[in-house]
Amino acid sequence: MTSESNVVGGFCRLYSALLYAYPPDFRRQYGRPMEQLFRDRCRDLARSSGRLRLLLFAVQMMSDWLSTVVREGAAALRPAGRHSGYRSSVTEWAGSILIYLFATTTLVQAYVIPTGSMEGNLLVGDHILVDRVTYSDPGPLGRHILPYRDVERGDIVALLYPEDIRETYVKRIIGLPGDRIHLKNGQVIRNGRRLVEPYVQHIAAFPDPYRDNFPQSPGIFTTPRGRDMLEHDVSNGEVIVPPGMLFALGDNRDNSLDSRYWGFVPRGYVVGKPLLVYWSYDAPTADLQEWTWHHAIDLAEHFLTRTRWKRTFLAPRSQAAEEIGGAQ
Amino acid sequence: MPKPRPPQEILPLTPPVFHILLALAGEERHGYGIMQDVAQQTDGALQLGPGTLYGCLKRMLAAGLVEESGERRDPALDDERRRYYRMTALGKRTVRAEAQRLAGAVTVAMAKLAGENA
Repeated sequence: MTSESNVVGGFCRLYSALLYAYPPDFRRQYGRPMEQLFRDRCRDLARSSGRLRLLLFAVQMMSDWLSTVVREGAAALRPAGRHSGYRSSVTEWAGSILIYLFATTTLVQAYVIPTGSMEGNLLVGDHILVDRVTYSDPGPLGRHILPYRDVERGDIVALLYPEDIRETYVKRIIGLPGDRIHLKNGQVIRNGRRLVEPYVQHIAAFPDPYRDNFPQSPGIFTTPRGRDMLEHDVSNGEVIVPPGMLFALGDNRDNSLDSRYWGFVPRGYVVGKPLLVYWSYDAPTADLQEWTWHHAIDLAEHFLTRTRWKRTFLAPRSQAAEEIGGAQ
Repeated sequence: MPKPRPPQEILPLTPPVFHILLALAGEERHGYGIMQDVAQQTDGALQLGPGTLYGCLKRMLAAGLVEESGERRDPALDDERRRYYRMTALGKRTVRAEAQRLAGAVTVAMAKLAGENA
């Protein structure tokens, strides 16, 4: 397969997924011919090439999608037989903006992974959607309706960085309240059992005895909250996770600033659960944290080649570690 | 199926609906064929996206302006079966009425603007 047909295939897969936003009846009736039409247009485009045309095409398709999703959605809700006022594009756009705002603030939120601390599972430049519903306790009644569940060991979560809540990190939950945790030669030992963690990678950039034998030999990178944890929550060479707190580590274990350095994560700081990678773009960390002209131009030039198509719609998986050894 | 309404009541047509009817004036076409023909009619100014095209076709079917004429392969394209559409008699009357309406509007516009350019 050529890279060109790869790209066309990627676009078509993306479009097929987007079709699910239409009402089921409409999708059943017209989904397949719409895919056909989309593919034909992609092929036209591949023949003519030119980045500007590609950008134009993408913008056109997105606005077509957004406006007709709202129009068909509204048509499906209206009682049959009534004529729809489908000329009012202003109300359609207002509707889609409202839906977008609601969806992005309460249901899902988009984040970009700026650092390599979860490398192995999430790469720098992965743009992820975070499900904000699962981990937020809806109260005794809502529990029966919403898919609520509490955070468990092995879950990948998006959390507010406790030292600066304007930043969001993605880490794996290693300890729940009451767990006793320490590291020995880079291996996590939880409640006296050694964890086998298939998701972890060890690529040490520099030696750090503290990192590998936490909480022994306090390191130099600890923040005030980290030092507070070492002062108050260590007994017999282990940290004990206090009530209402969580202990989180990065999968890229030897190159991750995590609970070892900045302490426990309050349960309330857990934002949600990464759902899927909707777009993965190979860009340096600095570009992902702030939008600059440089980044915009880079994006326009390399969108096709630097997008990691294979990662599109990949879902990060929670995975429980196996425990070895008797409890002590 | 709602009772087909007389042409005057559905005028004016939206540009996509008008051009889709024009595309089907000569022959029956599938979605991609309609899209290409509309682009040609308008010098590329109107590129119908999949949602717009099939949304319009859905409403035009309901209004009785077009009908499906079965699925078959397009020898010029590929492999896959495509759904073809053709214009109904009502569709023909409607697009003719719309063209007349537009022609009238153009005549008025010409008369009003002729003095301005002089």
